[in-house]
Amino acid sequence: MTRPTPPVPVPLSNMGQPVPRYQAADKVTGAQPYVADVPIANLLHARLVTSAIAKGRIVAIDDRAAALPGVVRIYTYLNAPRRIPPRHSSAGGRASDSRMPLASDMIEYGGQIVAMVVAETPEIARDAAQRLVVRYEEGPATATFDQRGATTSHPQPLARSAKQVGNFDEAYAAAPVRIDQRYSTPAQHHNTIELFSTTAVWEGDQLTLHESSRWVHNLANGIAETIGFPPEKVRVKSPFMGGSFGSRSFMMQHSGLVSLAARELGRPIKLLITRSQGYAIDTYRAETRQRVRLAAERSGNLVAFGHEGLELSSRPDNYSVAGTAHTAEMYGYGNVLTRVSLVHADRNTPGFMRSPAELPYMFALETAMDEMAIELNLDPVELRRINDTQLSPITGAPFTSRSLMKCFDQAAESFGWAKRNPVPGSMTDGDWQVGYGCAAASYPVLMQACAARIVLTPNGKARVEVAVHDVGAGAYTAMQQIAARELGLASQDVTVLLGDSRLPAGPPAGGSMTTASGGSAIFACAAKIRERFGGRMPRVREFSAAFERLNVNRIEEYTEWSPFGPAGMEAINNGRAFFPPPPPPGTTNPPRPVRFSFGANFVEVRIHRLTREIRVARITGAFEGGYIVNPRLARSQYMAGMIWGVASALHESTELDLIRARYVNDNLAEYLVAVSADIPQVDVIMVPEVDNQVNPIGVKGIGELSNVGTAAAVSNAVFHATGKRIRDLPITMDKLLTV
Amino acid sequence: MDRVSDRGKAKLDKQQSPQVSRRHFLTASAAIGVLPAGVEIASAQQAIEPPAQLTRTITLNVNERRRAAEIDLRSTLLDVLRDKLSLTGSKMGCDHGQCGACTVHIDGKRQLACLTLSVSAEERDIVTIEGVASRERLHPMQQAFIDNDALQCGYCTPGQIMSAIACVREGHASNADEIREYMSGNLCRCAAYPNIVAAIEQAAPKMGRG
Amino acid sequence: MRPFDYQRPARTAHAINVAASQDAGGIRVQYLAGGTILLDLMKLDVVRPSLLVDISRLEDAGLRGIDRVRGGLRFGALVTMAELAADRGVARDYPVITQSLQLGASAQLRNMASLGGNVLQRTRCSYFRDVSYRQCNKRTPGSGCAALDGHHRSHAVLGVSNACIAAYPGDWAQALIALDARIEVIGAAGGRSLRFADLHRLPGATPHVETVLAPGDLITGFFIPEGPWRRSCYVKIRDRASYAFANASAAVALVLDGDRVTDVRIGLGGVATVPWRAVTAEAVLRGHMLDEATAQRAADAEFAAASARDQNTFKVPLGKATMVRALLEAKALEIGE
Repeated sequence: MTRPTPPVPVPLSNMGQPVPRYQAADKVTGAQPYVADVPIANLLHARLVTSAIAKGRIVAIDDRAAALPGVVRIYTYLNAPRRIPPRHSSAGGRASDSRMPLASDMIEYGGQIVAMVVAETPEIARDAAQRLVVRYEEGPATATFDQRGATTSHPQPLARSAKQVGNFDEAYAAAPVRIDQRYSTPAQHHNTIELFSTTAVWEGDQLTLHESSRWVHNLANGIAETIGFPPEKVRVKSPFMGGSFGSRSFMMQHSGLVSLAARELGRPIKLLITRSQGYAIDTYRAETRQRVRLAAERSGNLVAFGHEGLELSSRPDNYSVAGTAHTAEMYGYGNVLTRVSLVHADRNTPGFMRSPAELPYMFALETAMDEMAIELNLDPVELRRINDTQLSPITGAPFTSRSLMKCFDQAAESFGWAKRNPVPGSMTDGDWQVGYGCAAASYPVLMQACAARIVLTPNGKARVEVAVHDVGAGAYTAMQQIAARELGLASQDVTVLLGDSRLPAGPPAGGSMTTASGGSAIFACAAKIRERFGGRMPRVREFSAAFERLNVNRIEEYTEWSPFGPAGMEAINNGRAFFPPPPPPGTTNPPRPVRFSFGANFVEVRIHRLTREIRVARITGAFEGGYIVNPRLARSQYMAGMIWGVASALHESTELDLIRARYVNDNLAEYLVAVSADIPQVDVIMVPEVDNQVNPIGVKGIGELSNVGTAAAVSNAVFHATGKRIRDLPITMDKLLTV
Repeated sequence: MDRVSDRGKAKLDKQQSPQVSRRHFLTASAAIGVLPAGVEIASAQQAIEPPAQLTRTITLNVNERRRAAEIDLRSTLLDVLRDKLSLTGSKMGCDHGQCGACTVHIDGKRQLACLTLSVSAEERDIVTIEGVASRERLHPMQQAFIDNDALQCGYCTPGQIMSAIACVREGHASNADEIREYMSGNLCRCAAYPNIVAAIEQAAPKMGRG
Repeated sequence: MRPFDYQRPARTAHAINVAASQDAGGIRVQYLAGGTILLDLMKLDVVRPSLLVDISRLEDAGLRGIDRVRGGLRFGALVTMAELAADRGVARDYPVITQSLQLGASAQLRNMASLGGNVLQRTRCSYFRDVSYRQCNKRTPGSGCAALDGHHRSHAVLGVSNACIAAYPGDWAQALIALDARIEVIGAAGGRSLRFADLHRLPGATPHVETVLAPGDLITGFFIPEGPWRRSCYVKIRDRASYAFANASAAVALVLDGDRVTDVRIGLGGVATVPWRAVTAEAVLRGHMLDEATAQRAADAEFAAASARDQNTFKVPLGKATMVRALLEAKALEIGE
């Protein structure tokens, strides 16, 4: 076993300082106020009732519970405040699900909101909610793929998944070595430890919403639209979040209802949503079915890649991740043919979850690559090396940077890959079969427009305001460090305000784009401040004199930074999803560089020869990420992403009752996330890399990339340990026990 | 009789669809089998009216202070700490004993506030994350969490720290494997686990035992 | 959660009297000890007591001790899982007891949960725990069983009926049933003792009746006859490494003469509707040389009556493998003096 990585890494080239996490003292003393911790006077408490069936209609509601002392109002579709139905984010709107709760007697999925009880105390609200009896007329429901009633579609957003280069069919048919396999990945839920809660407070006609949101400008604008108020009347405060992982991306259904109920009842309302209700309140990672076809010459040179996917969505909404758009960019395949279709069922609408496209689709590709290596009798690392490319296999454009093989080589060295006996089932330790596996990770480098404000005072202190969000990854710290660096200040002299719709607008905390976007905005804003001093920051001890020369006692600058012009900034200000338009045909000469980050994961698994439980003994990951703002926090994120990958590979699956179309393991005892005992050793290698093209501050993103490669590395290690290939996640003991 | 509040009823009259029956039906509870540490006695067939005494005033010893609170008998210790005593450091992550975010010390032992009835915590010594240290001087475990970056979003952190302190005091922190097993009752969805183990290894000797 | 009254007596006799007197008034009484199961189920609205009798402060010494008594070992019902798991003497002489406690729940829950409550855990079946499902014979007799055609990966393959396939979720009970434990019960009619193996009832046509306890009965203690059982162990197989319910478990206590089995006790968990004593397997093993093939034969015999459905077929090979592994691990133990 190798030694554990030190918790505070020594910065290598092109890395910032490993300063401790911003306001960590508040987190370890319990002082950091999450949205449910904010004290509100005169509060009413709300509790939801959600549907017991997935399809049908409500035929009767017994609301005698309304007579319980302390119950203030029970809202059902019969008396719900009037709202304007929102549009789904994929259709230009801001909602995570286009269906508005309490809009009619129709039930369209399990767990749909059918009532909201408002009471003087949470205990009374819960009691009344549990006493409320809703009688349904139940129709047949479609839970998922392959069931009666499932329909297939190819909506416009999926166009990005379809790639065609050369002649796949011909090249595939002619190749001497071929892989044609099917893979599946399950539904998963984010399960942040923080529960969903919303507190709506009105002061006159001004609404403040305390709701954990990873996109406050989306939520504020969405609420304003749905309740019919001007956006400036709605403020969303989400300064501290108890995790996101893709949840809380878009306006959820309950928020508008709580807001209007608070207005109608004339008191603030706090709605706390239970863990199990949360499974249908927000989104989830939808299950996928995939087929991968790979063809190679005997030398290992790939000549054809085909990747088809089916993704599940709800009846009305076209949420898709279209992951083949990324797998198609991975290797020099020659001929490419990819496509994704949507399947609609009676479910709540899925949405982003950490590495939304890449986790499921790279699992399939990187498992298929392992299968191809076995077919070719090649070391899996060498197969990647043979097919590594510095040019996009789709457009021929260069990657702005690509250090994939450096990652593989450094991780392989550290892991001890050379000690592996490549014969499956050949390595044992007592009663345990031992397997080594590896896989590549990649994630596109994303960014969005972002605004920022910096206020600088002569005492050498700065305040940075930017409505990006710290989901836990460390945005406060990163923004602080970038501002400090650009202004020549000590980190501790920079205060950071995030997660409030009154702040300069920023993008959602997703796609690993917070540092790239917010950091670039701060970078640009700091440049404007330097301009005030003639292009160069004075030393801190000269601040007083410098401010005096300018005859000011504070300097404030506001900047909007947009890589996509005014349209990009407008979308962020309005809280709408923004996809940069593709370049017009014929204008891409030379083709625009493609931006991706890369990594390599190595895993050792142990499987008991009798009982077949699978345990990960150690994980090594090497990642490149351009400029690393803070190697201490970066290491934590890489580590955590790999642990997520282990959980995806071995544990996490939202189980469905296929007849009743409902989630059955909707709690933290039966939905298994990783626990401490699952994770013995994680080694992180940060491969230094410089990318001056990708964005002004040269960062490529961490949180999503780190979660991409581990699942396939685990599945490849399970094959190496047992000789049995499991192509359906999660890889649980039942799949190894039954033939 | 429909019993909705007046405003709701006014709306309801206008909007009620003709097919919908608002007829009441029985909410009779089912007979329930034998229960943990005891027994279901006599299954009443009709809903029982709320007992006269739904609330009562209790006194809790929290962080070495006696704190009185008027509580609903149904409230848990977690509810009372957070809503009545403004001690919001203890977090609710599941409300069912599945995540560990509400871990507090009761009579020196780590326990889950979400599964502790507040009234049954009377006369116990309760320590929450707010009682571990003052802001000026952190507990060695708190400092170790910062030093080892043993947290990300921070939501589970108070429970992790309360559990970690107890883990050391119990003598279950003698090596990394033991720490991992005895810290597995505290979920960290951000997955800071290896750093949490490192933090406990750092703090244990400074706590005088371990 | 429905409103309830709350009382916290100091003496067992008082608690029993409260339960008995309220019984006459049609009040649904529930004893509260650690609360880890009761509060959970009350929040889910599965259990709706109208009076809680908090027994956690009962002062009677018999409810607390861990004592070596004539002919065996005795634990009070209010001893917590953590307290018993921490007892070094028990760990040395009855490792199966210690391990079955240590591998259950989490450190926090073990600090709270009483031994008496532990053995009365309710199933984790989703259809039982979520009252929005109409069908659950255990929760609402005669309503049907949604697990039969629903999700049942975690459900039982032994002791099932057409009315219920819910698995018993606990761990410690397997050690108790393997070691022929007895339990002490006090009720309105006085005290009595019964075999632990007789406590739980197979679901049959009445899965809502889970034990033989009468209304107002209170478990006060456990007695392990004979022993020590130093060659004993508990193997728990679960999807993640800790803090998860068993897919299968086996409590094994062995007496060997060389490699020959002179006595063997096996309790199985995760695979059965009740704590399961593997008497068939024991009979196959007794008097024979213990090796993997014999253990496998015993496991095959025990699971010959298993009845699996689509998603839990793996529990048959897993249950067998777990039993075989536990037998081999018990055999391999180095027993010191």
